[in-house]
Amino acid sequence: MSIWNYVVTAHKPTNVTHSCVGNFTSPHDLNLILAKCTRIEIHLLSPHGLQAMLDVPIYGRIATLELFRPYGEAQDYLFIATERYKFCVLQWDPDTSELITRAMGDVSDRIGRPTDNGQIGIIDPDCRLIGLHLYDGLFKVIPFDNKGQLKEAFNIRLEELQVLDIKFLYGCSKPTIVVLYQDNKDARHVKTYEVALKDKDFVEGPWSQNNLDNGADLLIPVPPPLCGVLIIGEETIVYCSANAFKAIPIRPSITKAYGRVDPDGSRYLLGDHTGLLSLLVITHEKEKVTGLKIEPLGETSIASTISYLDNAFVYIGSSYGDSQLIKLNLQPDAKGSYVEVLERYVNLGPIVDFCVVDLERQGQGQVVTCSGAYKDGSLRIVRNGIGINEQASVELQGIKGMWSLRSSTDDPFDTFLVVSFISETRILAMNLEDELEETEIEGFSSEVQTLFCHDAIHNQLVQVTSNSVRLVSSTTRELRNEWHAPTGFSVNVATANATQVLLATGGGHLVYLEIGDGTLQEVKHAQLEYEISCLDINPIGENHNQSNLAAVGMWTDISVRIFSLPDLNLITKEHLGGEIIPRSVLLCAFEGISYLLCALGDGHLLNFMLNTSTGELTDRKKVSLGTQPITLRTFSSKNTTHVFAASDRPTVIYSSNKKLLYSNVNLKEVSHMCPFNSAAFPDSLAIAKEGELTIGTIDDIQKLHIRSIPLGEQARRICHQEQSRTFAICSLKYNPTSAEESEMHFVRLLDDQTFEFISTYPLDTYEFGCFIISCSFSDDNNVYYCVGTAYVLPEENEPTKGRILVFSVEDGKLQLIAEKETKGAVYCLNAFNGKLLAAINQKIQLYKWVLRDDGTHELQSECGHHGHILALYVQTRGDFIVVGDLMKSISLLIYKHEEGAIEERARDYNANWMSAVEILDDDIYLGAENNFNLFTVRKNSEGATDEERGRLEVVGEYHLGEFVNRFRHGSLVMRLPDSDVGQIPTVIFGTINGVIGVIASLPNEQYVFLEKLQSNLRKVIKGVGGLNHEQWRSFNNEKKTVDARNFLDGDLIESFLDLNRSKMDDISKAMDVSVEELCKRVEELTRLH
Amino acid sequence: MQTWKQIRDREDGKLPSRTFANRIKSNRISDLQLSNHKEIVSSHKGSINSLQIDFSERRYLLSAASDSSVAVYDIQRATNYEGGGVISKHSSLFVVDKQHESGHKYAVSSAIWYPIDTGLFITASYDHHINVWDTNTTKVVVNFKMPGKVYKTAMSTLATSHMLIAAGTEDVQVRLCDIASGAFAHTLSGHRADGVMNVEWSTSSEWVLITGGCDGAIRFWDIRRAGCFRLLDQSRTQLGRRPPILKHSAITKDSSTKLRTAQKKHANGGGSKQLPIGRVPSKGPMKQRLHPGMLSTQDRATAHYGAVTGLKVTEDGMYLLSTGSDSRLRLWDVESSCDTLVNYETVRLQTSKPIQLATAQDSALVFVPCMRTVKAFDMWSGNTYTTLGGHYECVNACWFNQQDQELYTGGNDRQILVWSPSRSIADQMDEGANEDQDNWSS
Repeated sequence: MSIWNYVVTAHKPTNVTHSCVGNFTSPHDLNLILAKCTRIEIHLLSPHGLQAMLDVPIYGRIATLELFRPYGEAQDYLFIATERYKFCVLQWDPDTSELITRAMGDVSDRIGRPTDNGQIGIIDPDCRLIGLHLYDGLFKVIPFDNKGQLKEAFNIRLEELQVLDIKFLYGCSKPTIVVLYQDNKDARHVKTYEVALKDKDFVEGPWSQNNLDNGADLLIPVPPPLCGVLIIGEETIVYCSANAFKAIPIRPSITKAYGRVDPDGSRYLLGDHTGLLSLLVITHEKEKVTGLKIEPLGETSIASTISYLDNAFVYIGSSYGDSQLIKLNLQPDAKGSYVEVLERYVNLGPIVDFCVVDLERQGQGQVVTCSGAYKDGSLRIVRNGIGINEQASVELQGIKGMWSLRSSTDDPFDTFLVVSFISETRILAMNLEDELEETEIEGFSSEVQTLFCHDAIHNQLVQVTSNSVRLVSSTTRELRNEWHAPTGFSVNVATANATQVLLATGGGHLVYLEIGDGTLQEVKHAQLEYEISCLDINPIGENHNQSNLAAVGMWTDISVRIFSLPDLNLITKEHLGGEIIPRSVLLCAFEGISYLLCALGDGHLLNFMLNTSTGELTDRKKVSLGTQPITLRTFSSKNTTHVFAASDRPTVIYSSNKKLLYSNVNLKEVSHMCPFNSAAFPDSLAIAKEGELTIGTIDDIQKLHIRSIPLGEQARRICHQEQSRTFAICSLKYNPTSAEESEMHFVRLLDDQTFEFISTYPLDTYEFGCFIISCSFSDDNNVYYCVGTAYVLPEENEPTKGRILVFSVEDGKLQLIAEKETKGAVYCLNAFNGKLLAAINQKIQLYKWVLRDDGTHELQSECGHHGHILALYVQTRGDFIVVGDLMKSISLLIYKHEEGAIEERARDYNANWMSAVEILDDDIYLGAENNFNLFTVRKNSEGATDEERGRLEVVGEYHLGEFVNRFRHGSLVMRLPDSDVGQIPTVIFGTINGVIGVIASLPNEQYVFLEKLQSNLRKVIKGVGGLNHEQWRSFNNEKKTVDARNFLDGDLIESFLDLNRSKMDDISKAMDVSVEELCKRVEELTRLH
Repeated sequence: MQTWKQIRDREDGKLPSRTFANRIKSNRISDLQLSNHKEIVSSHKGSINSLQIDFSERRYLLSAASDSSVAVYDIQRATNYEGGGVISKHSSLFVVDKQHESGHKYAVSSAIWYPIDTGLFITASYDHHINVWDTNTTKVVVNFKMPGKVYKTAMSTLATSHMLIAAGTEDVQVRLCDIASGAFAHTLSGHRADGVMNVEWSTSSEWVLITGGCDGAIRFWDIRRAGCFRLLDQSRTQLGRRPPILKHSAITKDSSTKLRTAQKKHANGGGSKQLPIGRVPSKGPMKQRLHPGMLSTQDRATAHYGAVTGLKVTEDGMYLLSTGSDSRLRLWDVESSCDTLVNYETVRLQTSKPIQLATAQDSALVFVPCMRTVKAFDMWSGNTYTTLGGHYECVNACWFNQQDQELYTGGNDRQILVWSPSRSIADQMDEGANEDQDNWSS
C-alpha cells in the first residue's frame, strides 16, 4: 500500500445518539430528527410511518441536538453543537428542501478543562438564552436578543466542578438552571441558579436539595403548570421544586434515556440499561404534585434516546442494538408487555471486532461484525452487491436471448420461457410438477434465432425473427398473422410491446407495425442514413401498452435518436462521441423520472433524463459498468422497476432519492437476463451465464446487505477458520437479574453457514476472553484456535494472570490441546514465524510450539520485549512486529532469529493513545487513536543517524471523527483482475458508531488529482451549518491541531456525483477536466466499497 | 476501576474516549512511586535547581545545577539497560558547565526550553547573566546582562506573537528580555523589596505574566499595558461571593455597593482587584477609576507573609498555586483573585530559595517540595495524597511529565529521581527471563 490514502464510508453510522420531535419542516409537520454521531436525519411522521426527508453529514461529532422555537415563530429551529466546540442554528428551507444556517459560531475557550462527563447544551424554555457546559467550572451563555438573534457569548463561573447534568427550569421569570453535581466526598446534590444576563453572573436560585441518591445522574425539567424537576437516581426518583419534594423508590436500574409523553409533563417514558421501558407518572391535583408512580411497560432495545411521537408511537434510538419504532398498547400482550415493536432500524454499532471472509468463495469479501452490546449483541454479515438465490439451473450453451411469455393476457404469471440460440429457438415451460421442461408453441418458428418476443394484447404473442414477425394466439398457440421482411432484407434488430413492434432491417430501414386482434399492420416506414444497432419502445407513459417514443441507436455516426410514434418523426439526435457503437438502448422511468439508458459495446453506460413530451435529452452521465457489451432489461422487484445490465460485470440500476444508483450483482458474467415470474418461482429471474441457465430470486435492491444473527450475548472477538469452516468467538453474557453485575465468558464455535453455536468452552469465573486467532505452528499440520484471556479480579487494578488456550476443532467440537498461564492479560495474539506472539500487559512475548516426549504439545516461551505501558494492539509482517500502545503510539520491533531476541527498531515519539493498528506495507503503518484521528507512520531505514532510524516518521494525519476498534486487510467488493480498482489495496475498519469504512492506497498521480478535486469540492459543497470541512478533517488532539495530509475524504469526493450539472461544470472548469472524465474517475472509486 | 474493563467499555462506546484517558491517567498518577524501571544518571556535582521537559516532543529533560552546569537527558530513549532489559538508564546527552567557553560562572538557577522547539534553551545564573543557547551547537546565541542574581526565568508556552523571557532577579523590577532583538523589552515595576523569586506566564493568555516577589506580593501583569492589573490578597477569600437569591432581591442596588465597599475596606483598600482585564466587568457604579497600573503601586496587599517562593498556574488557567516562606501553599481562583481557602497540610517549606511546583494532569494533585520529601496534595481538599521520600537532602524542583505520568525531582543531593506508576510486573519479568533459561521441560 502507500502513504496516499483515500478514506471512504461503506456503511454510514447507525448509532442513534440524539433524537428530538417538533415542527421543523413546516408548522403542521411533525418531524423526528435523529443524530447519528456525524449525521443528522430528518423524518416526517406520516400515516404510513416515518418518512425520510433528509440525511446529511455534519462536519463534527454532534454533542447536542435541540429543537427550539423563538418567540413569535410558527415552527422550530434546530440547534446543534459539536464536540470540537462549533455550534449552529438551522432552519428548514421548504423551497429547496435543504437546511439554512441561521447562526453559527465557535464556543471554544483557552481557559478551562474540557468536561469529563460530556458536553451539555440546553435552551431556555422561554428562549432567552442557550446554555452550554463545555469546560469544568464554566457555564457559557449565548443570549438571544428580542428578535431571536444570538448575541455574543460569555462565561459564568460555576463553582461545582463535577457537574453531572444541567437543565433549565420552566416557569421562571428569569432564566434559571438546575445543576446536579457531585462534591469532593462523592455526595450528589442539586442547586439552582438564576442567570443574571445583565451582570453576566449567577445569582443563587430559589432552592437546592442536598444528599441525593448516589446514582443520581439525570434531570428532567417539568413544564408548566407543575414546573420543578425530576431527579432520576439508581434507586430513587425524586420530584423537586421550590415548594414540593416527592420521592419514590425504584427497582435498581440505570436510566439511560427519557421521553416526555404529554405536553403538560405529567408522564414520562424512561429507558434503562437493560432495555426496560417504564412509564413515570406525576400525580397531581391541579398544580399541586401529590406523588410519583412508575410502571414497567416492556422491553425494547437498550435506549440511548426516546422520542414520543404521537398517538402512542415512540421512537427508541439505540447505541447498543437496532433502533425501533414501537407502539404502546393499552392492553398488555400475553407476556405482559405493552410494547409492540413496529419497525427495527439496523444499527451495527458498536463494532468491537470483525473479520473479512469469503464464505461463498466467489472472490467477494464479506464482513462479519461483532455488533451490539449486552442483550442486543449480535453478529452481522455485511455483504456488498446484490445476491441471486439460485432456485434451479440447467446446462445450456450459446444462449442468444431470452423472453418470458404468459399464456393469456390476464394471467399474473409467466408460463413460457423462450430461449434463443444461433440457429434455433427453444421454448421452456413449467409443467404440472413445477418443473421446467421443453415445450412448443406451434405458431412460433423454432428453426431460426428469435430476435425478440413479447406478450401482445388480445391473448397473443409476438415473435420476431430475421425474416418475419409472427403473431400467435397464446391460447391456441397457432399463428394468426405474419409480416414478412421485404425480399433481400433481413431484420437485424427488433423490439416490441403489447401493441407495437419496431424493427430495423439492413440498409437503415426502420419499420413500425401495430398489433391488432389478429392483425399486424405496417404503419410507417423510415429510411435512415446509417445502419441501426439497437431499438427500444418500452412504454413509459401513462399507457402501459403503448409508447409514444422510440429510441434508436445508430452505427457509423454513433448516435442515439428519439423518434415519435406512430409517425416516426425524428425528435432528438444525440451524438455519443467516441467510436464505440451503442449496443442496447432502453426507455425507462424511476420514481416518476424518465430516463434513456444507452449501453455501449465497451461496457460503458450513458444515461440521460428524458422529457417525454418534447423528447429532449438532458443531464448526460457516463459510467463504466464492465468491459464487454451490455444488454439492458427491466425487471420488477417488490413492485418497483429496476434495470438489469447484463455484461461481464452484471449490475442492477435503480433509483433512490431520485438519483440513479448502480449495484453490482454477485455473479461473474451474465450474457442475458429476463424476468420470469412463474407460479412455482414467483418474482424470479432467468439468467444466462457461462453455459448455464439459472432461475433465481434476487435480494432486496440496495447496496449493502446485512444479515443479523442475534446472540443474546455480546461477541467481543471473532475469527474464521477456513479449514474447519467455522467461526470462533469470545463472548460474554450479562446477567442483569442479579444485583451485582455478573458476567459469564465463553469461547464459542459457530458453523460458518448456519451460524449456530456448535460447541462452547466456558471460561473460569472472572476470566475474560481477550483475543482469538486461528493459526498453525511450525512442524505441525493442524490448525488451531488460540485464545488469550485475562483474570480480572475485583481487587486488582491490572490483571496479573491470564491464559493462552489452544483449541483444535474435532468433529465440530472445541478440544483444548494446550494451555499456558501468563503473568497478565493477553491483549493480542498473532501467528508469527510458525510461533505464537502474545502481547501480555507491558510485554511482547514469543512462544514456540514444542512437542513433548509423550506426543503432546505445549507452548514454551522463547523471548520477549518489555518497555510498553500496555501493548494493546499488535500486528506482524515477516520478522517485524508493530505494537500499538495504550498511550505511546506505535513502535516497531524486530525478531532476530539468530539471537532469538526481539528488539526495538523504531518508535513514534508522539503520545497517541491507540485504538487500533495495521501494517499497510513493509514501511508504512496505520494507526487509529483516542481522539478519533487516523495517522500513518513510516519506517526510516535509510536514516543517516541512529536517532533518525529509531524514529517512525509521521507521514499522514486525518480526523476521521469515528472511534476505530479494528482494522483488517480486505475488501467488500468483488476483485476483478482487469479493472483498475481491482489493483488498489484496501483496509477495512469498524467503529463504535457502526461505521464500516474503507481505506484505499492510491497511486500518487491519482492522489494528486483527487486532492485537487477535493479542494475544489470544498468550495462548492458547503457544510451544513457553515461548518468547515478542512477544519473538520484536521488532525486534532489535546496537544495540537494540524491540517489533514496524505488522507482524502472519499465521502466528500464521491458526493461530486450528487451535484447538479452546473456545479459539476464549475468544478470541471476549475479542474480543467471534462465532467465526463471526472464522473468516470469518481465512479471508479465508488467501486471500492 | 480496572484497566481491562475500561478498555472494554471504551470499545463499546460506553466510556467516552476522553474520560477513558483521564481515568487511566489518574489511576496511574495515584500510583506514583520511585521508579523501578527508569533511572536518570545525574551529571551534576551541585544541587539541582531546575527541571523542565521540552514542549514540542516532551522527550528532553533540561536540568540546571548549582555547580554552574546544565544537562539534557533523553527520557524516552534509554542510553543503556540493566536488569535484563527491564531498567532503562538515561545518561545526559550533553552537559554545559564552567569549562565551556560561555558557561556560567556561578550557580545556574533556572534552565528552560524555548517553548516552540528544542533548538534553543535559556539558562539563568547567579552570575547575573541569562544565556540563550543553540542546542545543536551548544553555543550562546544571545546573552542578557541582568542587574543581579537571576532567580527564575519563564517563557510563555502559548505565545505566538512574542519571544519574551520574563526574569525575576535580585532587583525589584521584573525584566522582559526579547530573544528576537536581544534587548530588554520591558521592565515591570511594582514589587517592593529584595527582588522577585518567581515568574510564571498565564496558561490562558500569552500576554499575562504572574510574578511573586520577596515582598510577599503576587502580581499579574498584562505586558501590553502599563502596570500590574491584579494583586492577590491573602485576606480576600471566596466565601459568600454569590449572595443567595433572597438576600439579593432584598438588597437594593445602593446597599449592594455599600456591601462591596465595606468588603474593600476590610481588604486593605484593594479596590484595584475589581478591575481585571477583559472578563469580569466591574460591578456597581465605581466612578473614580484610577489607572490600574497607578493604583496597584499604592497597594501593599500580600499573598504570603515573607517571600513568595513558588508559583504554578493550573493547566486550565483558572487557578494559581503559590508557596511562601510562611510555609503556606495557597490555591487562588484567578478570575476573582480570591483565596479558595483550601487548607493544605504542609509542614515546612524551604524559605531561602525559589521552589518549583508541579501539577498533575486535570489538576487533581499538586506536587510540592517539602524539605527532603515531595508531597502530593489533593488540589481540592488539601489532603496529603502521598509523600514521596527518596532524596537525602532538600528538594528544589519538580517536573511532572503529563505524557508518561512520571514525576522528576531534583534536590541538593544532586540526584534527579524518577517517580513513575509502579510496574509490578517488572519483578516478575525477571522470573520470565529465568523461565526461558530454565526450560522446565528438561
